Amino acid sequence: MGEDASAPGINEALLHATVKWNTLLFAGICGFSGAMTLLLMTYISLHRGLPHPGHYLNLLGVFLPGYKVSAGGAWIGFLWGGLIGAFSGAVMYRVYALSIRQQVADYLAGEKSTDDLEYVIMKLYGHSLGLAMGAIAALGLLVTTNWLVIRGTADDSFHAGLLSHYLPGYSVSVSGSIFGAVGIFIATYVFCVVLGAIYNGVAALRMTGSKS
Amino acid sequence: MTLQKPVDADKAVLMAGFARLDVMALAVAMGTVCAVGLFLVTVTLLIKGAPSGVPIGTHLGLLDIYLPGFSVSWGGSAVGAVYAGIIGALIGTVWAVLWNLTHYLYIILVVIRAHWWGLMGD
Repeated sequence: MGEDASAPGINEALLHATVKWNTLLFAGICGFSGAMTLLLMTYISLHRGLPHPGHYLNLLGVFLPGYKVSAGGAWIGFLWGGLIGAFSGAVMYRVYALSIRQQVADYLAGEKSTDDLEYVIMKLYGHSLGLAMGAIAALGLLVTTNWLVIRGTADDSFHAGLLSHYLPGYSVSVSGSIFGAVGIFIATYVFCVVLGAIYNGVAALRMTGSKS
Repeated sequence: MTLQKPVDADKAVLMAGFARLDVMALAVAMGTVCAVGLFLVTVTLLIKGAPSGVPIGTHLGLLDIYLPGFSVSWGGSAVGAVYAGIIGALIGTVWAVLWNLTHYLYIILVVIRAHWWGLMGD
């Protein structure tokens, strides 16, 4: 029933339901993280006791209508952070879930038994994670930069232009956004591959340590 | 010698989807990547430099609002790396705990529902 010819034995309906549920969960977790991050950053900025609180954080209001560094604006930021976090999380997991077939194939191959699967630890697939997060980062930079261009404030967007220090070729323009998107995709991909390698290495070490 | 049961494909799918995240491993990985990331971002500006009379990294230096002691300098980049490592480790811990907890709660809910309907059917 619903079996995939390229991965014999995998129930497609079960796989789809699992991916759907995990997408919702991850979207919820990322949404919560995004919401709390923006809320905390705003309140810290307000109450740190420094002059001109939120002078730069207020610039986020260009992209997040209604947001400002104030007690009320912090909660608008909470909502926006939640929304953007949830959307990003959902897209990220959907792209990452392309690796689930490989994960299942890994479990089915070799000499694993049902007893081994009881306590299995998730392995992070850096390539899939890099593709997912890199795509989100690139899309985010494309959207935000071109929003500034559409608003007609590209020439005044000095702060956004500072990204050119890290993203060669980036500028607040349509063509610059494409260069920047490529650069941020590559940087994010590399970081994710490294993250996955460190995570898998530490997890494997701990698994070996617990078995001995 | 004990015979091991062969892997069931459906169970393999569920384990792939519901496998636990290693909390410590994700904390270490996130902390390391965040620490190295902020260090590289800071050092990039230091190496690029700035025109004479212009302070380096005036905007990146604003991170000291959230990371007291951070500055765009070699010493400040080390301080920033420590902060970023701690924050990254905390984020990794929270994500892994939330991921595992929500899955655990969902599995409990599914089991309770199965028992409930089993009781109703009896």
